Amino acid sequence: MNIDTKKIKSMLDRKGRMKIFLSVCASCGACADSCFYYRNSGDPESTPSYKALNSLGIMFRKWKKLDYDDLTAMKKLIWGKCVMCRRCYCPLGIDISSAISWARTICRANGVYEDFSEGPSGIKDK
Amino acid sequence: MVIARIKPIEEILGFISGKKSVLVVGCAGCTAVCLAGGQREVDSLIVDLKDNKGVIFDGYTMERQCEMEFVAELDHLIDGFQAVLSMACGAGVQFVAERFPGMPVFPALDTVFVGANREVGQYQENCRCCGDCQLAYTGGICPVALCAKGIYNGPCGGSRNGKCEVDEKTACAWCQIYERLKDQGRLDQIMNIKKPMKWKNQTQGTLVQRGYEKFQQD
Amino acid sequence: MKSGSNLEKVLNSGKFAVTAELGPPKGADPGVIKAKAGLLKGFVDSVNITDNQTAVVRMSSLSACALVSAGGFDPVMQMVTRDRNRIALQSDVLGAVSLGIKNILCLSGDHQCFGNQPYSKGVYDIDSIQLISTLKRMRDEKKLLDSDDTLTGDIGIFIGAASTPFSEPVEYRPLRLKKKIDAGADFIQTQCIYDIELFKKFMERVVDLGLHEKCHILAGVTPLKSARMAVYMNTRVPGVIVPEKLISRMEGARKGKGSEEGIAICCELIEELRQIDGVRGVHIMAIEWEQAVGDIVKKTGLFPRPKIRG
Repeated sequence: MNIDTKKIKSMLDRKGRMKIFLSVCASCGACADSCFYYRNSGDPESTPSYKALNSLGIMFRKWKKLDYDDLTAMKKLIWGKCVMCRRCYCPLGIDISSAISWARTICRANGVYEDFSEGPSGIKDK
Repeated sequence: MVIARIKPIEEILGFISGKKSVLVVGCAGCTAVCLAGGQREVDSLIVDLKDNKGVIFDGYTMERQCEMEFVAELDHLIDGFQAVLSMACGAGVQFVAERFPGMPVFPALDTVFVGANREVGQYQENCRCCGDCQLAYTGGICPVALCAKGIYNGPCGGSRNGKCEVDEKTACAWCQIYERLKDQGRLDQIMNIKKPMKWKNQTQGTLVQRGYEKFQQD
Repeated sequence: MKSGSNLEKVLNSGKFAVTAELGPPKGADPGVIKAKAGLLKGFVDSVNITDNQTAVVRMSSLSACALVSAGGFDPVMQMVTRDRNRIALQSDVLGAVSLGIKNILCLSGDHQCFGNQPYSKGVYDIDSIQLISTLKRMRDEKKLLDSDDTLTGDIGIFIGAASTPFSEPVEYRPLRLKKKIDAGADFIQTQCIYDIELFKKFMERVVDLGLHEKCHILAGVTPLKSARMAVYMNTRVPGVIVPEKLISRMEGARKGKGSEEGIAICCELIEELRQIDGVRGVHIMAIEWEQAVGDIVKKTGLFPRPKIRG
């Protein structure tokens, strides 16, 4: 499966502000407590900052070298561990959910998205 | 979740008749989960519509159309299109139409109910959003959504073999309510007359959650 | 006296009451009503006028009641909650009382999907039990639902309700009947009864609960016309059980004599129903067969009907 890195680049460029935002993340972990997914599971990968940095953050860093498997790996994180409730809170004012949402949009533009016809992945994985 | 289904293709073609370029907008919220209006369905609707020669179609799926920040993603995309086909529920269609008041926005789906996922691809109506939840005294079975007459002191005389008079495949909600309350030893819940409902969903609904009222006034 | 209706008087006098059903026409011709009523004249204490039964549009129950009332009958206006919200229902009750209609039977009504307007929007703003309590409040307190304003004029209503003893859950039916009586029902007309043994069990429970003393119970009967109708009633109509032996009797009837056998069965059923403790009358629902009523009433010795003054 091929992905269109040029398209990814142009989509990333439209959200240059998000790149700056993600770069100022101090990894303070304060956002963790605002995420019900993290609070219920205690899974460090559910921390909002982790999810944003390991999806959109990676896209900004290595967009040229991204491949389909990278996006599929992100899918498990940004769909499987996030319901887009948009309640995550960052003391520095980073709009974490918008970052995750944009990562999802970029994935979708490359044919990677949650296919509900096979059942919700959260349930399937258990 | 809100459950929807795709409209007949002829009806959709009727909406966009004469338009030269159409943007099909999916919703990755409820209508994606119920397999009616997510990215997958956007792609397949475009394939179905492409028989319509000479018309340019493009697709775009956002997180959900019931949130303006997501709808705003369309701002830079929408120029040049003559119409938008929204694959969201009725709320999403209206948000898109509100964002782009000069653009004809058409619904590609029929929003049918608030329901639950029985199995993949199979959904059951559970809630009519009456605004005054009755489930406490009915054993967790909704008489408003699941009784064909929506009565509060059922069952009516139309139950037959535990089924509803309207359809021999459909369970009588009040028979189920009776059985469940009986099993729980709570039949007293339906021995008293339930007074007429004070309908609260008959005017245009807006809701501000507690704690946010002050924020709203600012 | 709650209403002074003929039905109320007959029931209060302790006489065994007889009511029948009259379905208004699918049209505006008052002559149809008069002709049908003519067939019932003298044989019944009161006549039920159905309200768009099976959700098929017919002349309104209110206007048909006014027509039979002018013809000297005591009508029971049937009122379903399917088509009108509480504003229209209460308004029509006031209108009916002003026209001299004194008996009102409260029903939820057959679902609209059965009739000739299957895509209409069902109202069901209130249900039959809530309608009963609404009528009781209008009569006893002269007040509308959720309103403290006093209504003008006398509002005498003899409040009726229905009961379907054999619809599921069968063990809840007597208790639901109690709810209707608690809500304010003065008389009950049941779904048509063919299975006497089952009905006896139902009435035993009703008597145990003391309901027969709080309310007049009229057992419903419907004369069968054919074996086909017996099978249909048994298998298709909710809450109706036709015992196998009655179906075989109808099957055994000689060609062209089905309706005679049906009337004979109906008369036997009435004789048995009269013996059951707590049954105060019969309600004869001869569907589009008003001629049968006179025969049945005469053959069961229920003719002539009592004339009660005051």
